[in-house]
Amino acid sequence: MFSYVKSLQYPVKIANPNPALAKFIISQYGGPDGELAASLRYLSQRYSMPYPELRGLLTDIGVEELGHFEIVAAVIHQLTREMSMEEIKKSGFDTYFVDHTAGVYPQFASGTPWTAATIGVKGDAITDLTEDMGAEQKARTTYENILRLSDDPDVNNVMRFLREREIVHFQRFGEALRKTTEKLDQRNVYVMNPSFDK
Amino acid sequence: MDSLKRDVPAEGACGYKCGYLPDCAPLATAWTPMQQENPPMYEGCEALTRGTLFPGLDLPFKNIINKSNPYAGTPLGELMALWFIIKELQLYLDTHKGDREALKALQETIALEREGHRRYVKLYGPLNITDVELADCYSWVDGPWPWEYDERTGKK
Repeated sequence: MFSYVKSLQYPVKIANPNPALAKFIISQYGGPDGELAASLRYLSQRYSMPYPELRGLLTDIGVEELGHFEIVAAVIHQLTREMSMEEIKKSGFDTYFVDHTAGVYPQFASGTPWTAATIGVKGDAITDLTEDMGAEQKARTTYENILRLSDDPDVNNVMRFLREREIVHFQRFGEALRKTTEKLDQRNVYVMNPSFDK
Repeated sequence: MDSLKRDVPAEGACGYKCGYLPDCAPLATAWTPMQQENPPMYEGCEALTRGTLFPGLDLPFKNIINKSNPYAGTPLGELMALWFIIKELQLYLDTHKGDREALKALQETIALEREGHRRYVKLYGPLNITDVELADCYSWVDGPWPWEYDERTGKK
C-alpha cells in the first residue's frame, strides 16, 4: 500500500519560467534513465529477490524514486508556467506543446514516450542488482549533463540534490550485491540463480 | 556477517578463484566496499540540502555544493529535513541491520518528527489523510499542492 504525504521530498521553487530547460529535463521524468524507470524497475524487481533485506531495500529505494518522479514533475510544471506563444516558439518547446500543451507527460528528451524497454527485471538477484548499479550511474551522468546545460540556480539546486541521491543508491545496491554474493558458494557464485534455484 | 562468510577460505589462504580484496571477494562480480558502521553524519537541514546524511558519500559534481534549499528555516523545511534523515537512515540500516547507533539516531529522529508533525498540522493543515482527524473541515484538498510555485517562501 502507498500513502501520500502532501510535500515534496526536496523543495522546488523556480523563480523564472524557462521552457527551453523543460524540453530536456523531461528526460528525467519519463526518459531512458529517468525517475519513473528507476521506480518501476526496483518496485518490480523486488518480488524475485531471495532475501528479505533485499526486498526491503528495493521497496525503500523504489518508493523514494516515486518521490523523485514528483520532484522532476514539479520542476517541469514550474518551468512551463505562464508561457507566451512567442516564448514557446522561440524556445523550441513548440514540438512538445503541440501534443501536450503545458501538461507533464513522461517522455524522453527526444520525444519518445516512456517505455518499459529501458528497464530490466531478469529474476536473478545478482543480475538485477548489477543492473541497478548501472542504472544509478546512468542517472547520475544524465543529471550532470543537465547541470552542464542549465544555468538556472533554482533548477540546479534541485538537480544537485537528485544527482547525489544516485550516488547514495549506488552504494546501497553495491552493498546489497556484496551481501548477496557472500551468501553464495564462494568457489562459484554463479553455480545457480539465487532467486530461482533452492 | 558471520553467517555470510561460509565457504570463504581462512585468512591468508585465498583460493584460486578469490582475489586479494577484503574478505577474499570472489572474482567476476562487482564489489563495493561496505560503508563503515557508525559513520559521521551531517546535522540539521544540511543533509537535505546536500542530498545525503553522510559526508563519506557526499561527492559533488565539479565540487559545487548546495548552500541552502528554498524551504530552509521554515516549518515545512524542518519537517522535510527530518523526513530526509529518516529516509537516509532507513536505506543505511537496510544494509547495516546491526548498527545500534544508527537505529538509535533513527528512533530519535522519528520522535522529533512526531512532535513537529503534530505542531505543523495544527497550524498549517494536513500532511497525511489521517491528519484530517484534527481538522474543522475537509482541508485535505485545499491548495497549494506541493508542486505548485509559491512565492511565499516556505508556505506550503
